Amino acid sequence: MNVRAPHSNNVVVQSLTQIGLCGLFLLTLLASVPRSFRYACETLRQLWFVGAMSLAIIMVCGLFIGMVLMLQLYNVLSIFGSTSASGMVVALAVYRELGPVVTALLFAGRAGTSITAEIGLMRATDQIDAMEMMAVDPIAYVATPRFLAGLIAMPLLCCVFCAMAIFGGHLVGVTWLGIDNGTFWSNMTAVVVVHTDIVNGVLFKSLVFGAVVSLIAVFQGFTTPPTSEGVAYATTRTVVASSIAILALDFVLTAFLM
Amino acid sequence: MTDPVRATPDDSTLVRIRGLTTVLNGKTIFDALDLDIPRGKVTAIMGPSGTGKTTLLKHITGQMRADAGEIRVNGQNVANLSRDELYKLREGIGYLFQNSALLTDFDVFENVAFPLRQHTKLPEVLIRNLVLLKLQAVGLRGAARLMPNELSGGMARRVALARAIVFDPMLILYDEPFVGLDPVALNQVLKLIRTLNQTLGITSVLVAHELEAIKQVADHVFLIANGKVVAQGDPKTIANDGSPWTRQFFGGEADGPVPFQYPAGNLAQALGFTGAAK
Repeated sequence: MNVRAPHSNNVVVQSLTQIGLCGLFLLTLLASVPRSFRYACETLRQLWFVGAMSLAIIMVCGLFIGMVLMLQLYNVLSIFGSTSASGMVVALAVYRELGPVVTALLFAGRAGTSITAEIGLMRATDQIDAMEMMAVDPIAYVATPRFLAGLIAMPLLCCVFCAMAIFGGHLVGVTWLGIDNGTFWSNMTAVVVVHTDIVNGVLFKSLVFGAVVSLIAVFQGFTTPPTSEGVAYATTRTVVASSIAILALDFVLTAFLM
Repeated sequence: MTDPVRATPDDSTLVRIRGLTTVLNGKTIFDALDLDIPRGKVTAIMGPSGTGKTTLLKHITGQMRADAGEIRVNGQNVANLSRDELYKLREGIGYLFQNSALLTDFDVFENVAFPLRQHTKLPEVLIRNLVLLKLQAVGLRGAARLMPNELSGGMARRVALARAIVFDPMLILYDEPFVGLDPVALNQVLKLIRTLNQTLGITSVLVAHELEAIKQVADHVFLIANGKVVAQGDPKTIANDGSPWTRQFFGGEADGPVPFQYPAGNLAQALGFTGAAK
């Protein structure tokens, strides 16, 4: 699929063209999903690469975000004498917003950039054209497995992030600051609603963010100019576009899901 | 419909190009080019750098669409083929890329085995034997487990050649196959191209600049310049046909119908000698 944008100096026209081409690229990706089933091994390999290999950064960041969140909340809530609500607020903040958003931002930085750079280099070194010439559809073999892997990995990574954040909050709140363990868990379980907070907050949002980040990463890789500077710019664009898309979509989704 | 892979015995032309016109970034690459590539022969496409030789190969394989004209490969109009039909046609075409284009995630063996794994359900032992035979033919059986980044440019080119021929296609397109080869490897590759042509009847199209190598292997040469075929014929005689095109190209002369300099303005003016430009 040739998805190179026509040249224009107008930034608005360029951006709209990119969005339009990205939409067309998404349709091509979705159409190639049945064909990509024969490359299930490649999808699994990519799942390992974008999912399992991102675990370390997700776990560490989740832990520290939970810890710092609890620390801040404890300090603020102690003014009102309601430190026992800290665990509950940490859980709501993590499930509803911080979990999906921060996981998606980290995912864009860790996996999105590597997907873009890898595909961009494949294009620059004619590997994509070589596949075309060997009658192997590069969309089905290269793009779709990476897209599907991102789609599957993001909700799983988000769950791990949330678990680590709660663990971090527990570590600081209960172990260090002395909040009662029973109060910490009972307040949390009393307030957190599975459908609203877990299904809509964690799973649905992270699924959407996973699709958006993977789509942007794969699209940027496929449309990168075949030069080292082109690959560098495409990688940067993946982070910038993904971050903006995640934050904007988070607002829209929250507004609809509340 | 014509079978895209099997040859039609009564048709002596495998690739027929008529009125090919291509304009890239405002520059006319081909201007109503006509060219026939005979079946079962080794044909060389020569011409100055930037004249569109690689572009011509991309037109033949349907990687690039022309602005006008028709390209028929084995009787099929490439521009009218659906994606599946085009892929079916490409299964019968081997392509050696200018920069080898090996898949960097795979080792040498897997690179050569890649087309077999994608398009056949051959047992592993047969794939292994086929790949090893092709690697033996290019002298790299011992390098089967090396990764592409461990190969020299010449070795990578030979691996790409092994990959291009692993399917025993009806047509092989070689884009600069002799670049980076040492004399021994060059001789072996020339022999291999000839052997594939003579034993399997594979049609070969070579884009190359090495006239001595072309003389050894090609049956017919097309010289392309200014978007047209300016000379063609037997490789042993074409260099001496006396036309200004062949005299300049094969004699390596800077002056002639093909300008050595890319179109540019006045040099003195570009260097800032405004007085000299007047």
